[in-house]
Amino acid sequence: MKERKKLLAIILASVTSLAAITGCGQSPATSESDSKSQETATQAPASTNETKEEASTEEVTINFWHHYSAQSPENETLTTVLIPKFEEENPGIKVNAVSHEWADLHDKILISAQSDTLPDVARLDSAWIPEFQKMGILVPLNKEMSDFNDVAGGLLESAMSTAEIGGDNYGLALNTNTKILYYNVEMFSEAGIAVPKTMDEFADACKKLSGTNANGQQVWGYDEPGLSGWNLCPFIWSMGGSLTNEEQTKATGYLNSKETVAAIEMFANLYKENAITGWNSGDIPMTDGFGTGRYAMLLEGPWKVAELAGAYPDFKYETAPVPAGDGGSISVLGGEDISMFNSANKDAAWKFMKFMTSEYAQVEMAKCGQIPVNKTALETDTVKAADFAPYIEQLQTAKSRPTVACWSEFDSELAAAVTEVVNGDKTAQEAMDELATKVDALLAE
Amino acid sequence: MSKRRLSQLVIYILLIAGLVVVMMPMIYMVSTSLKPNGALYEYPPRFFPKLREITLENYAYILGQKKFIGNFGNSILVSVLTVILSAIVSSALAFCIARFKFPGRSLLFGFIILTMIIPGTTMIVPQYELAVKLNTINSIWGLIPFYVAWVIPYSTFMIKGFVENIPKELDEATYMDGGSILVVFFNVAIPLAKPGIASVSIFNFLTAWEEFPWANTVINDDLKRTLPIAISGFFGQHQFTQWGYVFALSVLSLIPILIVFISCQRFFVQGLTAGSVKG
Amino acid sequence: MKFNAKSRMQILLLLLPGLLVFGIFTVYPIIRLFWMSFFKWDFGSFLDQEFIALENYRTVLADENFRIAFTNTIVYTLITVPAQMAIGLLVAMLINSINHVKIGFRVAYYLPVITSWVIASLVFKYVFNTEGLLNYFLTNVIHVTSQNVRWLDSRWSGMTVAMLLGIWKGIGWNMVVFLAALQTVPLELYESASLDGAGSWQKFIHITLPGIRGTILFALVMLTIGGFNVYTSTKLITGGKPGHDTEVVLSWMYYKAFSNGKFGYSAALSFIIAIVLAILAVLQFRLMQNKDEG
Repeated sequence: MKERKKLLAIILASVTSLAAITGCGQSPATSESDSKSQETATQAPASTNETKEEASTEEVTINFWHHYSAQSPENETLTTVLIPKFEEENPGIKVNAVSHEWADLHDKILISAQSDTLPDVARLDSAWIPEFQKMGILVPLNKEMSDFNDVAGGLLESAMSTAEIGGDNYGLALNTNTKILYYNVEMFSEAGIAVPKTMDEFADACKKLSGTNANGQQVWGYDEPGLSGWNLCPFIWSMGGSLTNEEQTKATGYLNSKETVAAIEMFANLYKENAITGWNSGDIPMTDGFGTGRYAMLLEGPWKVAELAGAYPDFKYETAPVPAGDGGSISVLGGEDISMFNSANKDAAWKFMKFMTSEYAQVEMAKCGQIPVNKTALETDTVKAADFAPYIEQLQTAKSRPTVACWSEFDSELAAAVTEVVNGDKTAQEAMDELATKVDALLAE
Repeated sequence: MSKRRLSQLVIYILLIAGLVVVMMPMIYMVSTSLKPNGALYEYPPRFFPKLREITLENYAYILGQKKFIGNFGNSILVSVLTVILSAIVSSALAFCIARFKFPGRSLLFGFIILTMIIPGTTMIVPQYELAVKLNTINSIWGLIPFYVAWVIPYSTFMIKGFVENIPKELDEATYMDGGSILVVFFNVAIPLAKPGIASVSIFNFLTAWEEFPWANTVINDDLKRTLPIAISGFFGQHQFTQWGYVFALSVLSLIPILIVFISCQRFFVQGLTAGSVKG
Repeated sequence: MKFNAKSRMQILLLLLPGLLVFGIFTVYPIIRLFWMSFFKWDFGSFLDQEFIALENYRTVLADENFRIAFTNTIVYTLITVPAQMAIGLLVAMLINSINHVKIGFRVAYYLPVITSWVIASLVFKYVFNTEGLLNYFLTNVIHVTSQNVRWLDSRWSGMTVAMLLGIWKGIGWNMVVFLAALQTVPLELYESASLDGAGSWQKFIHITLPGIRGTILFALVMLTIGGFNVYTSTKLITGGKPGHDTEVVLSWMYYKAFSNGKFGYSAALSFIIAIVLAILAVLQFRLMQNKDEG
């Protein structure tokens, strides 16, 4: 005890003496915000039951992680419209929404799972569900929530299926989407070409639209911001290729099939001819490049509409279905599920999940380009006016990426392999053969 | 005489030319932060904005967002506490190592040298595990102790150099007057090692102020982020980046460190080199 | 002098906070890291790890991506360290030989050092963007290339940008360190050399360099460690792309740990880096000592 007092005295003395001698150790402002952040910081992140001053009302905070990007209209709606509304309807429950970048969110969840610091609820890319389910961190909602069937019944079956594994449901569908072709009207009319309906016409258009503009700047026919499954699948599938067999157990013979290789080759050749670009670190970001007429075409989802309206309000563009190949016009099924983690405060989390899939929340999100999955929301005038028709049409044929637990690793291997092809380090056949062997091993694990 | 003048002139010109190159990125950052966001992919790109283009809208946006003000507060709190705690801890360690023979002294000093060599980031995995055990994930208390631990080796090493330069007779005199070890520490060692402590403190402030990988790993919530994480958070994968906001926040985040540095820069040279010049 | 019990208590008191913080947050993680590096330790096996002896080390050393990252780091260090030191010394000598606004120059040249890595990286990324200011300058103003250079899109050009950033950011630190060292070289030596008719270059080789040898060694060791510490710049400028071609050892370690969950692999990698750095530090000291005797 004595010892401790002494130590305290020493620390105090040293603090004061240091402040005096350095003369620059003092902070300009140790203001309220600091003490507030201290306060929140001392709360254990995993503990949801806070018995603080207002212990009588038993307030609960649920953590909600998502990948609506921080500056997006979706995030704006979430934090200024939806959460306040939810908190008003559910006194005693507070929602702490955290925005992560898409790839970060995946990694953060993996890390947090190891450290028991998972949030209560998260908006997950449906492609991640198998992986997280295998880790055993998701709550099987149909088993634990008595009113699950009522809630699920109000949502689109096709979208709900993305969270269903082995007959159990590990999430509620939150929104669905797919990519369609966006094109710059002016560039097409200047080049005097029609909107591509087939993959051959698409490749042709890319070449014709690329070149230099009046300022002498390079322009490209098409922009693809990455080389992962999300980016490549529409081309692979539309050209008749595939990633795995139907059972998702084998990649050899599929990932390195003639059709898949042809799609990768088309990509690589167009890149070599300077007709497409987008995945390099130095490239113009998608929205800026499209809005300023440097990229003539994109494959993008419904959220792009709000984004373009915000950043380039005068820009004129139109949309069309994904160009068809031997396999048809097949886009990639996107969409997110909202899932609950094992460590969650289940009552509060479930309330929030139901709220986010409710008609009200779905209609609000539809205004920012999120296609609802709530059946009644789909019938509202607001949603009908939002003109999701082209996407819904494309969704009829859209396919989902392999629903396997190793998808993330598969996906990054795919991107790495295709990078080697477009950079000319390997031929498409070589790279895909190697990749198929690797993926076979991953699938067998 | 005139030849000397001429050579002086050449030196000034060289120094100024070098300075222009060195300052270019900083100036470009400031100038970009004054452009409207839409002008960032303009053609032709401009180093300076057009006069009528100059706008403070990026700054207004940043200062209007509560979370960025919070990020500022977090950074200041974390940096200041890191500086104070590491100064106390390191000068005490340095004083003891320099003045007393205690069991394990060379082992301790050896470990200090060893950890100066190992990059802090290599320890990120076990440190993350530790932060989990201590329940300090997603909290600024998950930052401060780790930062303090990171800067201890360098700080102790530097301050030790200063303490060793203090004549032992001063200690002896205090002991003769009946002063205890603590008295010598506070009344002799600390005041005389002051420039050293001040200079490592500036260095430590900078370390905590700009640290990226650890804070990016440990902190989740928007409101608990420090500035480097907030700044890099503007980048979404498929998103467009609002460079105007990025650079406005960057410029603002440079101000505190500039104030610290300029007001303390006289300590700086002394301290940085104390350990080295003796060679 | 002898210390009584009370004094011993006080020494302990002074040591205790440091020992605690250092012990818990640095020494323990290092030991833990060493331990982890011998186990199969990943997301799948977080609870029951299997002892696999040196398997992780073998995997790391056989990993093509590690080799790329390691080579990148070595090249980064080999280029940025001498460049920073040479330019820093040059600036220090120039500043040392002027009479006015010395402090002004010193502060201004130091500014890049206090600019955080995050900010500096973003500025460089913006300047070296394929559509950025630099390319505009090169193609449209001074016409040295007809097409925009894709600075950030291939391994060595991407690394070049990171290295330029490293040099830019390091000049100031070297300048300050050498400026102080130059003060310690006795002026009489220069004067007597002048009397012997020595030129500036000879004075530099025979007086200045030997006079600041200690500082050169100090800077060399610190900067080599700094070179291996590079992380934020490549992470933000190229993100390791294309593929993993511009990854450095730390970013690769981080990627394996936090994106792939291979903690054992990362631990082994960390230890390899530590060993390499320790060997380098010892070598550098040896080298300088030999010169000393010779």
